[in-house]
Amino acid sequence: MSISDVTVEKRIFLRKASGLIRTASGTDTFIYNLGVVSIGLGVGSMLFYGPAFYPTGNLLWGCLVAGIAMAMISFGFIAWTVTIPRSGGIYVFGSRILPPALALTMSLVEIFAWLFYCAIAAYWIVILALAPMFSALGLLTGNESFLAISTWMLQPWATFLIGAAILILSGVILSFGMRFYLVLNKWVFILAMASTVLLIVVLAMSTREQFVANLNELVGPAMGIADPYNAIIASGKEKGWGEAGTNLWQTLLVSNWAFLPLIGAAFSIAIGGEIKSVEKSQTWGMLGAVVTATVAWIVTIYLALKVFGFEFLGTAAFNFLMADGGLTTPTDPAVTLLTGILTKSPVITILASLGFALWMWMWIPAMHTFGVRAIVAWAFDRVAPAPIAKISETYHTPIVAIVVTAIVNVIFMALFVFSPYFSKIVILIEAAVLAWSVILGAGIFFPYLRPQIYEKSPISNRRIFGLPMMTVACFLGFVGSQFYFWLLFLDPSAAGHDPTQVMIVVGVFVLGLAFYYVMKMIRKSQGVDVTLAFKEIPIE
Amino acid sequence: MFFGKKNKDANGKVKLFFASDLHGSNVCFKKFINSAKFYGADVLVLGGDLTGKAVIPIAEQADGTFITFHHGESVTLKAHGDLDEFIKRCGNLGFYTAVMPESEYVRLKADPDAQSVLFKKLVLERVREWAALAADKLEGTEISLVAIPGNDDFHEIDAILTSAPHFDFYEMQVCKFKGGYQMLYCGGSTPTPWNTEREYSEDQYVARFAELLPQVTDMSRCIFNVHVPPLGTALDTCPKLDRNLQVVYEMGMPVQTHAGSQKLLDVIKQHQPMLGLHGHIHEGRARINIGKTVCINPGSVYPEGILQGALITLQGGTVASASLTQG
Repeated sequence: MSISDVTVEKRIFLRKASGLIRTASGTDTFIYNLGVVSIGLGVGSMLFYGPAFYPTGNLLWGCLVAGIAMAMISFGFIAWTVTIPRSGGIYVFGSRILPPALALTMSLVEIFAWLFYCAIAAYWIVILALAPMFSALGLLTGNESFLAISTWMLQPWATFLIGAAILILSGVILSFGMRFYLVLNKWVFILAMASTVLLIVVLAMSTREQFVANLNELVGPAMGIADPYNAIIASGKEKGWGEAGTNLWQTLLVSNWAFLPLIGAAFSIAIGGEIKSVEKSQTWGMLGAVVTATVAWIVTIYLALKVFGFEFLGTAAFNFLMADGGLTTPTDPAVTLLTGILTKSPVITILASLGFALWMWMWIPAMHTFGVRAIVAWAFDRVAPAPIAKISETYHTPIVAIVVTAIVNVIFMALFVFSPYFSKIVILIEAAVLAWSVILGAGIFFPYLRPQIYEKSPISNRRIFGLPMMTVACFLGFVGSQFYFWLLFLDPSAAGHDPTQVMIVVGVFVLGLAFYYVMKMIRKSQGVDVTLAFKEIPIE
Repeated sequence: MFFGKKNKDANGKVKLFFASDLHGSNVCFKKFINSAKFYGADVLVLGGDLTGKAVIPIAEQADGTFITFHHGESVTLKAHGDLDEFIKRCGNLGFYTAVMPESEYVRLKADPDAQSVLFKKLVLERVREWAALAADKLEGTEISLVAIPGNDDFHEIDAILTSAPHFDFYEMQVCKFKGGYQMLYCGGSTPTPWNTEREYSEDQYVARFAELLPQVTDMSRCIFNVHVPPLGTALDTCPKLDRNLQVVYEMGMPVQTHAGSQKLLDVIKQHQPMLGLHGHIHEGRARINIGKTVCINPGSVYPEGILQGALITLQGGTVASASLTQG
């Protein structure tokens, strides 16, 4: 019995047999991808880092550029997943065309990045949601304890402990099984969406004057300044923030922050084997998520800029992040804090903050699951220790893989919080984008190098400009992923390329290769030839 | 030892390759036969559901072209070369093809009984082809091939496979197995939403095992080749269906349920055979332990032409190694 073998077609006679059922629809795929994109996270990070690091960048155009590039990448992955409609992500694709060492390396790099994403999300829950929420509550209620909690949360050890607890919670939830996780996730998604709608409504109904008046009233006395809004802007400029006008290069660089969460729009490659009408569903699922997230960001960011002001957002975050002695808000000027000040409502503050926290939370188990599935697949192929694939008899979940990935998550959290080398937020994402690029680049040649597999693809008969559709789609994806690899590479605020960072990226690739060859040697000593796991059994 | 190709010793050492649910895929069956040489296996074990699920009519038109369907789209085949290629491609995907005049297609479309007759004819033809292929490929080797029927397999295949050379087809029997082991053969499945060919209630499974278990002389050296997996395990985890046989989703992910046999689970827990080989649930690819018993479902992705299997080495009355493969 299977969920993915045969779909009912015209001019086909079907018999009574198990498996003639439909699977995930395009809408299901869309919801899955949109959940991983995390609309709230995109809003939070764009408004926090964008104006601060890229004073002449245009956030709205940045969102659009990222959306277009991610759509191109999606085209490539749609071609891959339509041709090989199996669950498991790029490991499945890579193992069909690349040398085994390279396929495993690409997968390892990708998994490292996604697990790093988990740590980033846990960090942001503390920095962009919880700490600002307590700070806003302190300002609104006059209760010093809230401010003290907020300040404590921003201490490295406190951030690490809370983040680690969140990451371990993800492991605990996954160990109870996908059903438990999905039921929980359903409510998380609904509440997160509701909070986003609430934020949009609040911003749409508010004015700059209202925000300035409230900020001055709530923050002014504590700072001893009558007009902190303009004082923060002036302080930021004095400390070196800002240039006049809009700059294309800065606009491209700021788009890195929109691209970061948009990566989630292609995550349905991880569940490719469970999707019906795979071509239509994956197309709608991936591109729908890209378009929806991009439009939601443009609307929300436009309204936020109207209410808070680009200069204020930029200088407040700039002073908080980079300028010693610069005037800023009592805690990090995340959109959650600013919304609390804007509304002067503890209830809306809590709802908006928890909404952001929930959006960020959605990343964690989703990407944690991605990592778990991949390393279980490695264990099946004997390129990872067999116990990793061990299934819990109680919950039927790969408990060892979940624990291993949870430990890696916590290590990443520690590296992120305590080490300056890993504090460039998307450094490993740069590596993952490169891994995607390799797989998409390989896809350009797949129809020629693996014709016996490609001929089974529903797009095998379609050609664009005389070339196989997969070749063209993967070329677009390759261009899109290369574009963002180099944008990240050249952006010192997002990822960059200083020697330490480059060594980290190179080190992850080397680690992948070393891991493969060590496992290969170990298996060889056991009489196992792991390369056979990547080879196709001859049919003649 | 996994994937090795060295000679086995005589201490009950047997390397077997197990696959299931090929569902008519020619390419998967060819790979299955060749997997013995590829992985260095002594015995090939097939876990049922050999037969496919769909016939694709290829209707000849008045102008000499052929109209058929593939991947949900209308396909026009203009030359006989295209026709041969299309038939081969469908066979690899597990489909049966039937070339006929357009008028015959129209007649069959309106006559479910005639469709059933055609279906059975094509299924049995392919089973005969596979039996002949196995005989051809395995002749002169010491590799044996054993198989059971799955819930989707017509009863008529039993006679064909039972009489086929190099194809040891058993149902409801306990037989000797290489290396001094025994294999218990039990095909079919518990009831499915599709009311397929060979379904048995849990009560019937109680009776079936009551018939089989006394024939096992040493449970610690017995291999269960039982198509249905044990209930409530990773091996029988599959998507939950609603009344319209549609998968139930939550947040874009299929809700999981279990579709195995409670009686089988009880038997394994109580009697602890050495090894359990199962199929039926294509999504249930896993290796687990139920007490001391190693239980495996290799899963199936036959429409992609990829053969999923399990390579198992038995030695000294134990499962020395067991690994999932795909190739």
